[in-house]
Amino acid sequence: MRSAVAHRTWLATALAITVILAGCTPGSTQRSSGPTEGPVETDPAKMGTVTITEWDIRNLPAQSAAQDKLNAAFEAKYPNIKIKRVVKQFTDYERTIKLALSSPKTPDVMQVNQGYGDLAKFVKAGLLLPQDNYAKAYGWTGRYNAALLDQNRMTADGHWGTGQLYGISNQAEVVGLYYNKTLLSKIGLTPPRTLADLQGDLPKIKAAGMLPIQLGTSDINGAIHIFGLIQAVLAGPAAVNDLVFGKGDASWTDQSTLEAARTLQSWATQGYVTPGANGQNGTAMAAEFGKGHGVFMVDGNWSAPQLATQLGPKVGFTVLSKVDGGKPATEGGLSLLWGISSRSKHPDADAAYLNFINSPAAEDVIARGGDLPAVTPSSFKPVSGLQADVYASLQSVVQEGSLLPYLDYTTINFYAVLGANLQELISGRISPESFTKTLQTEYTTAKASR
Amino acid sequence: MGPTTGPGVTATLARSPGAATPARPRRPRPRRRGRLIIPVLYLLPAAVLYALFLLAPLAHTVWISFFSWDGLSLAHWVGIQNYTDALGNPELRSAFLHSLVLIAFYAVLPIAAALVLAGIMVRAPKLRLLGAARVILFLPQVVATVVLATLWAELLGPTGGINQLLKQVGLQGLAKPWLGGFTTALPAVGLIGTWIEVGFCLLLFLAGAAQIPAELYEAARVDGANARQEFFAVTLPGLRGQIVIALTLTVTAALRTFDVIYITTSGGPGTATQVPAFEIYHRAFTIDLVGSACAIGVMLTAIIFALTFLITRLDSGTRI
Amino acid sequence: MTNHPGPRREVVVNYAILGVFVASTLLPLLGLVNSALGPPGAGTATLTIPHSLHLGNLTTAWRQGHFSQYMLSSLIVSGGATILCCTFSLLAGYALGTMTFRGREVIFYIFLLGIMVPEEAVIVPLYFDLRSLGLTDTYGSLILPQTAGILSFGIFWMRAFFKTTSPALREAAAMDGASSWTILTRILLPISRPALVTLAMLTFMWTWNEFLLPLVMISTESMRTAPLGLSFFRSEYVTQFSLLSAAALIVAAPVVVLYLFFNRKFIAGMMSGAIKE
Repeated sequence: MRSAVAHRTWLATALAITVILAGCTPGSTQRSSGPTEGPVETDPAKMGTVTITEWDIRNLPAQSAAQDKLNAAFEAKYPNIKIKRVVKQFTDYERTIKLALSSPKTPDVMQVNQGYGDLAKFVKAGLLLPQDNYAKAYGWTGRYNAALLDQNRMTADGHWGTGQLYGISNQAEVVGLYYNKTLLSKIGLTPPRTLADLQGDLPKIKAAGMLPIQLGTSDINGAIHIFGLIQAVLAGPAAVNDLVFGKGDASWTDQSTLEAARTLQSWATQGYVTPGANGQNGTAMAAEFGKGHGVFMVDGNWSAPQLATQLGPKVGFTVLSKVDGGKPATEGGLSLLWGISSRSKHPDADAAYLNFINSPAAEDVIARGGDLPAVTPSSFKPVSGLQADVYASLQSVVQEGSLLPYLDYTTINFYAVLGANLQELISGRISPESFTKTLQTEYTTAKASR
Repeated sequence: MGPTTGPGVTATLARSPGAATPARPRRPRPRRRGRLIIPVLYLLPAAVLYALFLLAPLAHTVWISFFSWDGLSLAHWVGIQNYTDALGNPELRSAFLHSLVLIAFYAVLPIAAALVLAGIMVRAPKLRLLGAARVILFLPQVVATVVLATLWAELLGPTGGINQLLKQVGLQGLAKPWLGGFTTALPAVGLIGTWIEVGFCLLLFLAGAAQIPAELYEAARVDGANARQEFFAVTLPGLRGQIVIALTLTVTAALRTFDVIYITTSGGPGTATQVPAFEIYHRAFTIDLVGSACAIGVMLTAIIFALTFLITRLDSGTRI
Repeated sequence: MTNHPGPRREVVVNYAILGVFVASTLLPLLGLVNSALGPPGAGTATLTIPHSLHLGNLTTAWRQGHFSQYMLSSLIVSGGATILCCTFSLLAGYALGTMTFRGREVIFYIFLLGIMVPEEAVIVPLYFDLRSLGLTDTYGSLILPQTAGILSFGIFWMRAFFKTTSPALREAAAMDGASSWTILTRILLPISRPALVTLAMLTFMWTWNEFLLPLVMISTESMRTAPLGLSFFRSEYVTQFSLLSAAALIVAAPVVVLYLFFNRKFIAGMMSGAIKE
């Protein structure tokens, strides 16, 4: 019957369209990669009218103001170029930067987290422009500590630590131990210099009815930092470097890392850290410490400007070593690198902008904002006692070569895996042994697929 | 995209769409072909949009689920491996289990509570102010989930409203970071869902109960039935249609939870509040496991279809 | 409901129950409003009623959160989807509700299918397909998929309406020489207004409140929809609830205002079939 035929024709057509649409194997082998050779224009005045869209994570008040200042200064110097700034809090940024880079309306310039989590992902996908030619034209390579700058390198097939340069960083980061001097002296304690010192202080503080360590791990970063600090001291720079970069035979189940896990868990179970730390995020953690709740806090230098305002001379910052007089070790490095999108329509303008915000003048602005520039300007004068502490700590670990990469750089999924398992470790739900085993499994699986 | 709580399903299940058109007197008909063109033209815009933006992606999800794909380079075929991996992965299994827990909070709890309350209230004469109450009780369905999640994340926080309240009534010891505890996070999220759905269920059942003929109650009373017996003999069967609707909507809402998790816990602490929808998002857009994400999407769809089908079976009188 | 007059106690119990639920629904929401309109700088929600109304939080949130852009973006998306959905549903519902032709029921059931399809399942290929066409980060990428998803309900809704129209009326017009289009626009459209308004309200609400789709499709800051903007705003100001609640209020306001004016339509639409107007 005619109608049945019509019926089936419709169905058939619908199916056919669906199959055709679906019939292609997803993805393609084509990847865009920008120019790496050839002359580049370095004078922004000659680049015509351009709008640069930049994405950054400098959302904390002091840093945000500094970034705004830099952008305004650039626009003032080169009125033909406009800067459109998009700033996001770190977690939101991490969640959306990949989608943004893949979008047809990709940002031109953006901060990229190093390591196998982000940088490797983006480079392999061809989303970032190698910047070696700009580095040569502007003379960037000579300015930075070579070992640290290597963290901004990646080979095209995703091997981190060598290969092409994908950006420079205008800030340095260091994670350390903030301490409340007033509270410490109330109990008659002096700032710890070794991990053993700190461990000895904790029960005394608790006995005095105060919170030893302010901790917030719901957004993961706080957990990684406190564990990273302990592991850096116990395992030492060589081991941690090997683990994060995926070299050598280091294993997450090695004794020193296991010891670090045991230590962290024991701190939690003995009540030396914020009860319910898993329910507090990093911003709230720093806010609480700034209100005077907690004698110690493990956090990065980014919280320093705010804490200097809140606590003034009452707060100090230090890094720890294993033994008295030994090498201090901690997490940190160059801050997120400034990358250029491989599909930016004006890479020369982007590079000129990056050169500007990484210049000594820019470093000066950053330093005055209370933060740590990547390269210390010769005119550097700490704006607070806290900043002086932070700077001194950074110097000490950089000199010893013990400024270690963040642990979440280890694999593409390490941030989530390490974070979730640290939360379980802190709440006592898993043993340190199974914690380290889980990390090792994730590590070996990812390494095998490289 | 689409009704967030699938209220359209309400409509689907409550009315019988297949009602027969009345018999028409025989009239000379124009050519068959002409008759088809006209409805097709009216249907075309909707059909094209629907096919392109719903049916095709649905088919495509199934297709991609058979590949291992990172979203950029060429995918390679893995057959049903994404599915077997998902079923074998303890974290994914627990994500689906968490959905079950959420179903208890989003669906079972509100419906049970609303049923009991509708049963109690049905015996009284019409309440004044029901109209105003209705407007308020329906509010959680209207306000954006992101807004509600923002509000509740604050209330359930370490120094939030709930803990403040506990302190006020002297139950300081019970105060804890609800969304940060491994055992409390999922129930806390669930309770948000209960709060969102209970008003709606109550309204649905009250409205349904209003349509139960008074004679049935009188007959029951004549037979000497007490309140409980009246409930099970008259009220409950009379509300069967509404129960089916409420179940479908709330169960679907529980299975599709994304906004609340994203805002309050992001799946944490650990993986305590991980749910399938969030896993799909995480896998497809953060860790480059697109094929696996599609497989989970297919599984989620299949579960929704199956549960919806089962639920409508409950009311044999409902024709779909 | 029975006409049997119950004892006084039952009435009190009923009011009490209703009261408890109304209170538990209203109090948290009032808390939100309270914080939004209270003094700035409050860290957490509180139920202490402020002495005076502070609009400072709202203006600060509006400015700092760039909400003027986001609200406009949401308006474009929701407006576009509403117009599209109502138009297409009207046309399709007209055909399915008044015309007889082979395959009519099958087509209707295919449209109904969409109600059960979760967006989480289709959003993944939707994103990658649109991206390869360079169409992500556009208003179309938000309007078109959402319209397609709501069509299921919309077509059902309009078809149900058209089925209530009198066939005799339509046939009389046809015999007078009116085309199907004339019948639709001259005769049926005017009386379809209530049904269309309800559909429009619901579409507007669902698209305004949508979060996952813009989260995935939109990276350009100015194109963020209001709920998306709120989620980023929250990350920045999570410790300042007075500001955060003001932003939340701004985002929720348009739909809530619409709802308060048209609450009967909203409720009827969402519970269609369960209550009689």
